[in-house]
Amino acid sequence: MPTITIDGEKYQVDGDQNLLSSCLTLGLNVPYFCWHPEMGSVGACRQCAMIEYKDSEDQSGRLIMSCMTPVRDGGIYSVNAETAKEFRGSIIEDLMTNHPHDCPVCEEGGECHLQDMTEMSGHTMRRYRGTKRTHRNQYLGPFINHEMNRCITCYRCTRFYNDYAGGNDLQALGRNHQVYFGRQQEGRLQNGFSGNLVEVCPTGVFTDKTFSAHFVRKWDLQTAPSICEHCAVGCNTAPGARESGNGHDPMLRRITNLYHHDINGYFLCDRGRFGYEYVNSPTRIDQVLSARNEELIGSTADTKDQLHRQVNPRDGVLHLSVQITAAQRKLRRIIGIGSPRASLENNYALRQLVGLDNFFSGLNRLDQHLLQLVNNIHSDNRITSPNTPEIETADAILIIGEDIYNTAPRIALAVRQAARNRQKKQAQDLKIPLWQDTSVRQLEGDPSPIIFIGTEFTELTDIATTTLFESPERVTLFTQALTQEISKSSKQSTEISPEFQKEVNHTAEILLKATNPLIISGISSRHLDTLNAVANLARVLSNHRKVPTKLYLNCGEVNSLGMIQLFNEKEGSLEQLMESLSVSDKEIPTSLIVLENDLYRRLDTPSVEKLLSLVDEVILIDTLLTPTAKRANWIFPASTTAESQGTYVNNNGLAQRFYAVYEGKGYIQESWRWLVDAVDFCTEKSENYSVLRSWKHSTDLSDALAREIYTLKVLAEIGPNEDFRIDGLKVARQSARYSGRTAIHAQQHVSETPPIKDPDAPMNFSMEGIHNPNKTQLQANIWSPGWNSNQSIFKFQQQVGGERKGGPSGKYIEFSQHSTQDSNVSEETSVKPTETSNNLQMLPIYRLFGSEELSNQSMSFSEVIEAPFILMHPDEISQYDTQEGELVDIETNCGNYRAEIKGSNTIPHGCIGVPFGLPGLESLAPQIPGYASLRPAVTPAISEEQ
Amino acid sequence: MSSLLEPEAIEVMERSNKDPDQFSGTLTDEEKREIDEEAAHYEGKSSVGLEALRIVQKHRGWISDSSLQAIANYLEIPVAQLEGVATYFQLIFRQPVGKEVIYLCKSASCWIMGCDQLQKHISQRLQIEPGQTSADGIFTLLETPCLGDCDKAPVLMLGDEMYRNLDESAIDALIEKKKQVHADKSSH
Repeated sequence: MPTITIDGEKYQVDGDQNLLSSCLTLGLNVPYFCWHPEMGSVGACRQCAMIEYKDSEDQSGRLIMSCMTPVRDGGIYSVNAETAKEFRGSIIEDLMTNHPHDCPVCEEGGECHLQDMTEMSGHTMRRYRGTKRTHRNQYLGPFINHEMNRCITCYRCTRFYNDYAGGNDLQALGRNHQVYFGRQQEGRLQNGFSGNLVEVCPTGVFTDKTFSAHFVRKWDLQTAPSICEHCAVGCNTAPGARESGNGHDPMLRRITNLYHHDINGYFLCDRGRFGYEYVNSPTRIDQVLSARNEELIGSTADTKDQLHRQVNPRDGVLHLSVQITAAQRKLRRIIGIGSPRASLENNYALRQLVGLDNFFSGLNRLDQHLLQLVNNIHSDNRITSPNTPEIETADAILIIGEDIYNTAPRIALAVRQAARNRQKKQAQDLKIPLWQDTSVRQLEGDPSPIIFIGTEFTELTDIATTTLFESPERVTLFTQALTQEISKSSKQSTEISPEFQKEVNHTAEILLKATNPLIISGISSRHLDTLNAVANLARVLSNHRKVPTKLYLNCGEVNSLGMIQLFNEKEGSLEQLMESLSVSDKEIPTSLIVLENDLYRRLDTPSVEKLLSLVDEVILIDTLLTPTAKRANWIFPASTTAESQGTYVNNNGLAQRFYAVYEGKGYIQESWRWLVDAVDFCTEKSENYSVLRSWKHSTDLSDALAREIYTLKVLAEIGPNEDFRIDGLKVARQSARYSGRTAIHAQQHVSETPPIKDPDAPMNFSMEGIHNPNKTQLQANIWSPGWNSNQSIFKFQQQVGGERKGGPSGKYIEFSQHSTQDSNVSEETSVKPTETSNNLQMLPIYRLFGSEELSNQSMSFSEVIEAPFILMHPDEISQYDTQEGELVDIETNCGNYRAEIKGSNTIPHGCIGVPFGLPGLESLAPQIPGYASLRPAVTPAISEEQ
Repeated sequence: MSSLLEPEAIEVMERSNKDPDQFSGTLTDEEKREIDEEAAHYEGKSSVGLEALRIVQKHRGWISDSSLQAIANYLEIPVAQLEGVATYFQLIFRQPVGKEVIYLCKSASCWIMGCDQLQKHISQRLQIEPGQTSADGIFTLLETPCLGDCDKAPVLMLGDEMYRNLDESAIDALIEKKKQVHADKSSH
């Protein structure tokens, strides 16, 4: 490690970093704008000037840009030399000449890197008296505000948007002091990572429009570490919440990135950043509701939808406890349905209440088997699950049947970085440091091989070296042939055409030649054969290379992999529940407790209807008024991720804890608390119930899980328990500057109300306590003196771009290790419907906005979610007496749907692409892969045809 | 002094679509042929953004939004990227201009030699500010950085010609001459 001297002090630094990031790692304050820890240096803004001395005799030294300077062993530098300070002062003064004096009305104010750097550079007095340059702003869509007058031309936005995230509709326009960062025409920024501009921009040019609708300053936000619940990647977030000024209920205000070295690094996707609004949506449940037992007449009579009324929560709990008591006396059967979007703790509480025999996952058989297969694959010691930095360093990537941009977006961003690895390798050979961004990007050379086979490969085709758009059957065939090719197995598949075999051979060659190959796949194509074939491929590749194969498998929902740990192999699907109900004793009434799950997204509608008709009562604990809620007899309001504490397991098998950011409104509480409350009311004594009664803190459940389920034993260690204290104090969720504490409820009560107690976390819902727990994982308010913006994250890292000082949050769950099973093809593979009139195979396609249940309820998403549509190969559309853009009726065994037909060259003949979970087509998703027929839409509307 | 210290509101892009765009969103065969010819010197079509803009402007006088889109489509590059090129170069017009574009040098030598006075004179005579086009549609006045003829300051460029050692009477003569040329053209 080189030793350098800065302002007379000697330091040991990392030779691979530039002088600026070395200084920041050392905790020295050097101002900068254009440098970004993830995007490297371009030397554009000149703000990070320092002095370098030739030797100890040199008194004057020379000015250098620290971001463009490699550290030299024995180098002597100065941050505080007068010449450097003067230079930096003149640079900031120059940058500020055109910057408006609008900080009080600017949403960046209080967390503005430009404010911080202006202060730091000592520019406290403006001498410029002239007119300022002004620009017209553009409409950039529902997520991002544009205020170009504030721009200081650091080029970070286009460097992130174009170079890092692969966008092509944001550009530097004009020149000189007239440079304008915008689109060619007004309109939504198309790239799914555009929200990062809000954090990347050092000032207020790009701000969060959804936050704008309910803006408060950063110091007025209450924060806690959380996990994004909108896919299974497990990105860490720092949501911010605050009560409304006029004493109304507290609300979730925004989501920002929370750095996690192994997962999201510095960036989030737009679904994760802007999908939070569902928490405040009008469809949110915050009261206990009970169905009125009235005979209905009129329009709702046919639909079996229930009319609900608010009831006292106590009545609801009492009712639940009566049912539980009855169950204890064998007078009633209680069945529990868990959910992959509920925390481990919530799922476990329900399992504990109803018993494993009566506990079901809420997934259909196919999804259940897919997840169990993923779980089995993870248990194989020839396979490892790579984290984001490992994906970014892969030198050959094979993606099989997973449209990662739409199903696991942050992983797509990592894959995009991996495409540059040959370029980076070349840079290293030429001894160009990797932080020299422009120089490295200008190097010529082939992109690293990225091979895709599947239905759709959104936003990544520009970096793919090979894309093969094939049906799932052909994808399986390809994977099997590839496995044979790598294992040099003699049995050649006869079904393969020579061209297809050529692609197979080419791919095999690339995988075998690579030093660090990676395979990405998942459950999204809903095809067991494919997943089995992928697992075999990974095993064979591992046998061949004598090291475990890196295989990233996407599991779909935030806690899919966690929930599946609570079930025995091949148990727990909704189909099994139906079988069990249809043979059960009809004399004993049945209550169905549904935990944070919408059954209509899991099974086709007739099956759900049948399931609900087999039980006497539906009790739902959930956050939103879903179609299932309309059928429930009792509804209990559950808290969302931001309002509760719990554990999710991500695609890597990383169990991560999230903490309640705020207390929420109405009667919401964690689902497990409703169950425990009900048990508390029970008169019956039983060992099982006394366990439930003993649960007082969220971590009690985590600990119980760790004791009971072997694979989850790390849950006991993943975070500090409720009784953790620093210097005898809890951690404060509010900043020391949190304003209005004594006034905010003044119109309700003159005395200051005590803060709400948090029984789960070692954190307070107040400003009292430890404010900077940077040695723990509880740090979510990324702030440091002089560094009000999120740039201050480096103060919480062991080194710039390294692990957090509090260590990595989360622990990997232990899959039971074995390597015996080589093939576990399930017998339920083929879901071939019998009806022959439906001849079009449905393939699932995914959308960043529209395929995820919760974020679909966000207000800002309504503008970006597409209207119901299906995709078909353009050559085939005319065969159905219709054309692109027309409405068609889609008929399946389970219902009719109307959607616009769109042409797509990637859809194989004889297939249609059906957007998974898209509003209007939600109940089509569980029928995939099934068959449908198509005809031009005719009025009258579908409902009257039935 | 004013123009050095008081930058005006910046029109980086086309002001609006008020000017009816008489050109269709597709390139003519002639334009395509010229672009292809230029592209033959490079590895790919995407490299000739600037040349393509120049060629289309030669035919159409300026680059409208639909012309820009047509070129981007033809070169298969994002339209935003082409807009970056178009707005970077001063000689690519994203607004309609007059038949004669006056580039008045505003750099240091010309400033010392009184270009501000000349600009006022032109503005008064043609009733246009820098960036505007005269009512008769003949003249557009633009300011430009150094034209490289500092020893003969103040200078301006009109068409392919440089006009040096200017004073107000020289400008009057130039304007009259050009007006005459266009009057003759339209009378024929």
